[in-house]
Amino acid sequence: MASGHTMMRCGEYRTTYQADTTIFPTPMSRYFAVGSVILLLGAPALLNAYYLNLLIQIGYYGIAALGLNIVVGFTGQISLGHAAFFGFGAFASAWLNSSLHIPVFFSIPLAGVMTLLVGLVVGIPAGRIKGLYLAIATLASQFILEDFFARADWFTGGSYGAMAAPFTVFGYTMNTDQRYFYVVLFYVVVFFLLGSNLLRTRDGRAFVAVRDHYLSAEIMGINLNKYRILSFGISSLYAGIGGALFGHYLGYVSAEGFTILLSIQFLGMIIIGGLGSVMGSLLGTAFMVLLPEVMEGVVNLVGATSPDMTQALAYVKEMAIGLSIILFLIFEPDGLAHRWKMIKAYWKLYPFSY
Amino acid sequence: MRKRLLGAAVALAFLGTAGLAAAADKIPVGHLAALTGPTSDVGVPYGQGIADALNYINKNGGVNGKQIEFETVDYAYNAPRAVATYKKWMASMKPVAIQGWGTADTEALVQFIAQDQVPYISASYSGHLTDPTGKSPKTKAPAPYNYFYGPSYSDACRGLVQWAMEDWKAKGKEGKPKFVHMGDNHPYPNAPKEACAAYAEELGFEVLNPIVYSLKPADAKAQCLSLKESGANYAYLGNTSGSNISLLNSCTTVGVQTQYLSNIWGWDENSINAAKEAGNGVAWVVGAPPWGSAVPGMKTLAAISRMSDSSGKSERPLHYIRGVCATFFMKDAMEMADKAGGITGPNIKKAMDQMKDHVPAGLEGVCTPSTWTAEDHRGTTEVSVYTSDYKDGKFTMTKMATEDVPRRAEWLGW
Repeated sequence: MASGHTMMRCGEYRTTYQADTTIFPTPMSRYFAVGSVILLLGAPALLNAYYLNLLIQIGYYGIAALGLNIVVGFTGQISLGHAAFFGFGAFASAWLNSSLHIPVFFSIPLAGVMTLLVGLVVGIPAGRIKGLYLAIATLASQFILEDFFARADWFTGGSYGAMAAPFTVFGYTMNTDQRYFYVVLFYVVVFFLLGSNLLRTRDGRAFVAVRDHYLSAEIMGINLNKYRILSFGISSLYAGIGGALFGHYLGYVSAEGFTILLSIQFLGMIIIGGLGSVMGSLLGTAFMVLLPEVMEGVVNLVGATSPDMTQALAYVKEMAIGLSIILFLIFEPDGLAHRWKMIKAYWKLYPFSY
Repeated sequence: MRKRLLGAAVALAFLGTAGLAAAADKIPVGHLAALTGPTSDVGVPYGQGIADALNYINKNGGVNGKQIEFETVDYAYNAPRAVATYKKWMASMKPVAIQGWGTADTEALVQFIAQDQVPYISASYSGHLTDPTGKSPKTKAPAPYNYFYGPSYSDACRGLVQWAMEDWKAKGKEGKPKFVHMGDNHPYPNAPKEACAAYAEELGFEVLNPIVYSLKPADAKAQCLSLKESGANYAYLGNTSGSNISLLNSCTTVGVQTQYLSNIWGWDENSINAAKEAGNGVAWVVGAPPWGSAVPGMKTLAAISRMSDSSGKSERPLHYIRGVCATFFMKDAMEMADKAGGITGPNIKKAMDQMKDHVPAGLEGVCTPSTWTAEDHRGTTEVSVYTSDYKDGKFTMTKMATEDVPRRAEWLGW
């Protein structure tokens, strides 16, 4: 970190591998990350339940999206069954809590582990096939799990769904948004740090090697099967944790919620956020969660002046969501993370353009 | 240009998230609708019925002179978005009652609304929303603030099998008739499965293994062949209308001779027109008399319909009429609450729980008399069974029977 203490950085000064793999490339980015977490700690005192609800949604979906990014963005596999793992985590945590009477505090991580095991099993075909074939294999897992949710009465409550008890810790029930926000924030910080760290490890770099050129990776001695299956497992762990947080937040888990549509939404999150970017997963999730809310507000404003239009506006809203995704793919194919990098570079190089 | 676009986007975002503030003398009401998404085919007319009814109430004196201020939010049948909307409402306009929609979101909100004491009138008629105290062994969780207008899915299906048994006897047939439940493996079609099968068996049916067919409209010849092979005399269709239309078309091709029974969301005017002759003879549950029936309340209904159709020409489907009824029961409860000390959630609940064979004024003959008590939220157990007949581009709906399903204590919440 040769220039770590200068006011302004205008180039790359890294001279060691260690400096190259640091989590926060500049002290500024470290202050920024720590600062935002501290700022978020104060959010429940400042924001009302609605805004907290949106932040909580970004939290649990974000953890799951990061999981999908690990398998799609880092390892170069494709998964169309992420929503099913998300749902499995939610059901598993509710089941552990209600049937085995494990406190929610422990059932959430345990549900993550259970989902990881399911992910490893589903990941087995991933070790052998790729591309379109893998996409269809994961699609199959989506349908198999969805069917399982509807049939396995003992596990999911079948068609009635399962009640998920609120999160309690040291006698405190985290049943308000103000309290539950901290639970989600804790998991977000832990799992995003884990995610960033994963990519600095031997295994994480192996994932990237598998993505960039599987043949070269194999020649270098990387066990393709092992890493492909492993990335599926880790991705499922993230989905399971996100799903468990989701379940205990809503208090009720229904098989209706974990359809292929949600899987595609997860893909949308990481594409908009930026494939292969840890922070991008969070940015993309925020975009996907906030867009319908913002559009709803816009539609309401227009609808207030002309009530007869409500029906037509509902479709305009849906179209706008689709349109913004298409526009993203055209004008910002590398996602929000890329845009963020450009903004940072702009300030770093100011007043020069490059 | 790019900067200007960015500025516009930021401005829109600010405008969009600005909440609605409620004025003091207004009654804030939330309206959760599925105008888009997988259930919008039936969600649109139902939501329109609610919106028109609320506008009509406001235009005609409101609730004891107070105006209802409502916000319609299209949540596209997405439970987390329903919860987000609910949170937004509780943070800004603080509704005293909510008109809701589907299964997943209603269930997700059960605990929240009980905690916040907001009566929630849904279009999910799932049997286990009927137990406010949680006393029944069949209940998973008590639902003290949940209401719906009409028989529960389970009671509706019980009414259908009761009618089927009478039909079997009236036709002078011998032996045990065979009954089969059909539907996708989803919470909504499955909701009455066990409850209905148990009653069918009790009535003397032979209950066959259920047949699964997709909620999404698709060719269903394979399922029709299994239906034909099973030799079922009566088949209950648990899905929504779109998938039922394709099933009936497939089954006509295969040549199935079964009497179909359909639930409240499974058949309507649009399905009759779409399925044409293939849908002839389907017996289904109707929660309101068809548009234009000779009942006294039809005049009020026509006036309500004019709120969004000034020409008065459009013919409203059954789902629309049920939306109107659901709103008017809420309005009457609000009036009673107003007299009893103020329009608050708990007072509205108290008023709802005191309704006995109640029919909203002006809607006689349109809305079924309903009774709610603090112990039992089965508003009605009366099941109107209709059948439809399509010929030469026109259809007729005929009322077959009104089945009175027993109000057994052990069926509460099932």
